[in-house]
Amino acid sequence: MSVEILIDPITRLEGHGKIHIFLDDTGGVDRAFLQIPELRGFEKFVEGRRAEDMPQITSRICGVCPTAHHMAATKALDDLYQVDPPPAAKKIRELVYSIFMVEDHALHFFFLGGPDFVVGPAAPKAERNVLGVIGKVGLEVGKEVIAVRKELRELMAQIAGRAIHPVFGLPGGVSRALSPELQPELAAAAARAVEFGTFALGVFRDVVLSSSEYVDLITSEAYTHRTYYMGLVDRANKVAFYDGTLRVVDPDGLEFLAFDPEDYLDHIAEHVEPWSYMKFCFLKDVGWKGFTDGSESGVYGVAPLARLNTAEGMATPRAQEAYEEFFSTLGGKPVHYTLANHWARIVELLYAAERMAELAADPELLSPDVRTLPVATPEEGIGVVEAPRGTLIHHYRTDERGLVTEANLIVATQNNAARIAMSVDKAARRLITGGEMDEGLLNQVEMAFRAYDPCYGCATHSLPGQMPLIVQIHDPDGDVLREIRRD
Amino acid sequence: MRTLVLGLGNELAGDDAVGVLVARAVRKNVSGAADVVETSASGLALLEIFAGYDRAVVVDSVRTGRNPPGTVTELGLDEVGRVVAPSLHHAGLPELAAVAERLGLGFPAETRVLAVEVLDPYTMGTKLSEPVASAVDELARRVRDQVERWASEDGG
Repeated sequence: MSVEILIDPITRLEGHGKIHIFLDDTGGVDRAFLQIPELRGFEKFVEGRRAEDMPQITSRICGVCPTAHHMAATKALDDLYQVDPPPAAKKIRELVYSIFMVEDHALHFFFLGGPDFVVGPAAPKAERNVLGVIGKVGLEVGKEVIAVRKELRELMAQIAGRAIHPVFGLPGGVSRALSPELQPELAAAAARAVEFGTFALGVFRDVVLSSSEYVDLITSEAYTHRTYYMGLVDRANKVAFYDGTLRVVDPDGLEFLAFDPEDYLDHIAEHVEPWSYMKFCFLKDVGWKGFTDGSESGVYGVAPLARLNTAEGMATPRAQEAYEEFFSTLGGKPVHYTLANHWARIVELLYAAERMAELAADPELLSPDVRTLPVATPEEGIGVVEAPRGTLIHHYRTDERGLVTEANLIVATQNNAARIAMSVDKAARRLITGGEMDEGLLNQVEMAFRAYDPCYGCATHSLPGQMPLIVQIHDPDGDVLREIRRD
Repeated sequence: MRTLVLGLGNELAGDDAVGVLVARAVRKNVSGAADVVETSASGLALLEIFAGYDRAVVVDSVRTGRNPPGTVTELGLDEVGRVVAPSLHHAGLPELAAVAERLGLGFPAETRVLAVEVLDPYTMGTKLSEPVASAVDELARRVRDQVERWASEDGG
């Protein structure tokens, strides 16, 4: 058979992302946007199913961040049954969630962002891959990334059941208490993770910050949007992943909103465009003014950079230092440079690792009291967490037996959709004039959306996030002038 | 010699479930001769699964649009297009093998891929389309045959 048939785990479903670029009469860019494959029928699929099954079902719709879906769904069940889990249960959940954030961020910093930053945007295409990253950072580091991740995933499996699709979240708590024998192992893994996070920041400093070329790229206007930002914060307005208040800051970095996640519908609305099945979230309180930035436009961003902008700091000491260095280096708050997401991601990695260490040392973690039994009649439940890629909202309505009548998910990439569309559009505009197209287009446009750590699969409800890319250039009549594919 | 049977797919995504269903169908028949693993993970997450095996049969769905749904294609690792990918989500089998080799993680020396052309992997549901459902038996048979061939090579 032809080698064009790609059966990789990657291209398994030909889940091609498509960038459409429409030219105007002068050969300039009229509009550019990204289209991604959609998994249809989620709402219908879950209709009539038991709400208790939602943590399992939703964690199976995507192979990339099942833990985030599992946790958001579990929290939605707490709300549905109006039950408050015991402190130990909340801590075990947050511990599992912190472990997940460390391993996800670690992998993505080195192997997803790595090709752009560690290897470099100007490096030959053949080196801009995982092997190129390993070549640059060294075998030992490559091995450490894999080893840390493996250790963390095994720990998750021991605490939560299977690592990939955890089965431990229940309304009102978790399915089992933490075994005391695990605590020393957890403490050791947390210490290793903190060290790893510190090391990753060092790599970023040595490789990226020491290069004026990289710094210029990060801070260039091409990758800048002055938008609002949203993220969960704790009571002290520090970054929180598992639980908190949703805070929104304006493009000047000032608090614009702070609300209980259950009130999300009062503040977030979805805009529909005829050219995309994706819905574009915006802030109701500002309104939809099109794909534009500034304080008059309701477009907002989520994910690591947004979380750092939204919060007033990190709740752990080393991460707080890294947070301060981040903003002082990049010119103060807020930072509007999309590519700074890669740096923000490792600041968060360090926080998740330190938080893991704090929780592992907490004596309450071992309490056998891990479940409050739900007694209320279910009706409606909302659960929100910060997924690695940004705010994730699960919202269910049920009948009095707890069977789902309606379900709505807003995933990170939907929150980010308008900003991502703007990033693609801006990159394309910069590269194309008079119908002439720079061959570096693919990578430069891709860099614009890769910084969001895009998990397009789940943005449209699923598909294990693989995204080969097609770029189509259309003339003003919509006919395709040229197509570039990259499988 | 250790043999892995790996079914890739998302069991809630229509035809994408086929790899997982084949893994379940052969689980009993190959017990003792191979380990059977099903997963919806992709990319580098699969490294840990492959590590420690000498041989592997991978069952996966594919949509090329060039063959009728249900068509089964068998490929060796060297016939699967090498993907130079900037993203971990795009890490393909040959790249996985290269990463595993570089990091000394171990990767099966021989890997066969059974790919089945699917009709609709984009609609949530637990039912396979007709042509893909009817390919499950053939896929299961070919997986068993391969595992048995390897077992007999070992002097069974």
